[in-house]
Amino acid sequence: MTRMPRVARTAWVAPVLTAVFVGAWTLAVTACDSGAIGANTPVSSGVSFVGSTYNSEFFAPGSRSLAPAVTGTTLTGKPFSLTAERGNVVVLNFWGSWCAPCRGEAPVLAALSRRFQDKPVRFVGDNVLDYPASADAFERTFNVGYPSLNDPGEHVALAFHDTVPPSAIPSTIIIDRTGHIAARVVGAVSYDGLEALIVAVLDDKS
Amino acid sequence: MTADVADVAQAAAASPEKPRFGPVAWLRWGWRQLTSMRTALVLLFLLALASIPGSVLPQEGIDPAAVTQYYTAHPALAPIVARLSGFDVFGSPWFAAIYLLLFTSLAGCVLPRAFRLAKSSRQPPPKAPRHFHRLPQATSFAAARPAEETLESAAGLLRRRRFRLRTGDGWISAEKGYLHEVGNLLFHIALLGLLGSVALGGLFGYKANKLLVAGNSFANTPTALDVFHPGRLVTATDLQPFSITMTNFSASYITTGTQRGEPSSFNAELRYTAQYGGPARKYDLQVNHPLNVDGVQVFLIGHGYAPVFKVTDGAGQVVFNQPVPFIPVDTTGLTSDGVIKVPDASPQELGFSGQFLPTAYETITGTVASAFPAAELPRVILVGYAGNLGLNSGQPQSIYSLDTAQMHQIDVAPKLLAPGQSMVLPHGLGKLTFTGYRQWASLAITYDPGQMPALISALAALGGLIMSFLVRRRRIFVRAGSDGGGTIVELAGLTRSDAAGGFEAEFAELAVEFERELSGPAGPDLARGDDPPAPTAPQAGSADEVALAQSKGE
Repeated sequence: MTRMPRVARTAWVAPVLTAVFVGAWTLAVTACDSGAIGANTPVSSGVSFVGSTYNSEFFAPGSRSLAPAVTGTTLTGKPFSLTAERGNVVVLNFWGSWCAPCRGEAPVLAALSRRFQDKPVRFVGDNVLDYPASADAFERTFNVGYPSLNDPGEHVALAFHDTVPPSAIPSTIIIDRTGHIAARVVGAVSYDGLEALIVAVLDDKS
Repeated sequence: MTADVADVAQAAAASPEKPRFGPVAWLRWGWRQLTSMRTALVLLFLLALASIPGSVLPQEGIDPAAVTQYYTAHPALAPIVARLSGFDVFGSPWFAAIYLLLFTSLAGCVLPRAFRLAKSSRQPPPKAPRHFHRLPQATSFAAARPAEETLESAAGLLRRRRFRLRTGDGWISAEKGYLHEVGNLLFHIALLGLLGSVALGGLFGYKANKLLVAGNSFANTPTALDVFHPGRLVTATDLQPFSITMTNFSASYITTGTQRGEPSSFNAELRYTAQYGGPARKYDLQVNHPLNVDGVQVFLIGHGYAPVFKVTDGAGQVVFNQPVPFIPVDTTGLTSDGVIKVPDASPQELGFSGQFLPTAYETITGTVASAFPAAELPRVILVGYAGNLGLNSGQPQSIYSLDTAQMHQIDVAPKLLAPGQSMVLPHGLGKLTFTGYRQWASLAITYDPGQMPALISALAALGGLIMSFLVRRRRIFVRAGSDGGGTIVELAGLTRSDAAGGFEAEFAELAVEFERELSGPAGPDLARGDDPPAPTAPQAGSADEVALAQSKGE
């Protein structure tokens, strides 16, 4: 008898809870979509991952992961193998001719490649989401003296998946003389910042 | 003596501790408020309210270009909005606060209820009340045999009907329909499961979009994706390392009748590898037939044209030769807008904006339009610009819009170009050739590890709800006492939950059966038949299912 009021409560609690939950859920789901996916609005813009934030990481010699054995063909048609560069510090830059921050940092990279040309430092580009004519024109414009891999499908970026993946375009990865990843810069590099990183990797006691 | 004094002092010290809102009492009060249904509803309302700015203001994660535009349009307001996380509403601390409070509120409400329900489903029936006439269902009749024997027969009868029994001095209390509580419990646990699944998806899932031109490939890395909405705990290394090449894309359209121009089928021929260097597999991607790689679903959600242009600059160099995705602006003829940026042309950087018309025709007023979505008569019409595209500044810009602030329009009358035709630019700026077109497909990539658990939880919640609505928990009380010479049997019924109705009828039927069995002549066999005989209903199916079937039949 005295329990009857509680019975009444039980009866409405369940449906109300359902309503609350379904409401919250629909809201959460729709909130995430917010019309980003529409039939013919495939893209919002091309700038999502081409940030210009300067973000560099340096890994101490003991805590470096081994770079993947990347192979490929350069824009000029020559074969390239990352493992064949052991003994050199490799500066691997991910870029596209369409990407404004890449164009912004291109003179810095070209200048630094000349600054270190007498040192055991190899500059290599990885040209992503691009086409040969545009990429070649870019190389001419900025007088880039080092080779670039032709990688429109980002397979090289994928090869770095389990290590230190390039998380934006541009990204720059420095690989030490033993083939381990020593540093990563996400976004455009600065002359002083990248120079300091290369010098640090050249100087390691590894 | 001293000990006594100490005790008294202790008691005195302890006495102000009685519930007069100390910190513990406040905490308990706060928790009770938080986990109340009213608070949950208020929080839900707040959540709805808080998501309004998310749909009014441009969002960083959805359309960063629109955020940039907002900055230029409202230079004073934008930093304040940004400080209040107005451009990232769904990732803002205050939105998370509401969401987490709601989550806590629901969990705090549901968990103790689940424990209570679990306990109550194991409880034996309560004692029979003293006065049956106060119960909603009650009846009485005279029995032929002594009280004790009558009660034993009654117990046998109830047991045969699969009631749970509790007996006392002159009474029986029987209860049935525990499946109601089981259903309730299942619903509550499933609700928690749902919450957990949604959280799982939100933390470890991601959504992305990719526009892929036929013939091209991409890898599932954040840098290759056009739009990427990672869950809270997703990093670049968590993305499943597949790569996809679209070898061909075909679309067909209805050519006659009222539905002329409506798409009839799309097919994207894919070759994909599940990981770097893995074996390549083929898949025909169609609308609503997603590709499943490693738990990730890839949907075909859109398509369009990418006209191919070749630009030779003033120095005679081919500085551009590639397909450029144009975005459809009208669905009937698939007229598409796009821009071409040639930052490495010399002597001046070049930019073009214009339209691709799959089936071009000239209207009476002299403008151009597209009559049909298939590329029956593909044409482009472009306006050219020369100057500074602004790309070399390093400031990110959308590849779908042309900033002509530092450019001037090239003096060429725009005209329709057919494949193979060129637009020669004056003043030695070069030449643009429309060489052909490719098609592109837009892919939605979704990974939601909470999807399956959410589905299972939702089904379990629904099942539990139905079970608790259809099965009624009911009690039957029997009292037998001597009244002068004979035995009076009192029978009463009570249901705690009778959402589906029908308990009255069930009770009436039971009362009739009781009267027939107990008031009839005292045949010794029948009277002693209180040991559990063969059940009247088939063994298969639980007691509640039988009860359910009975109540449905009524």
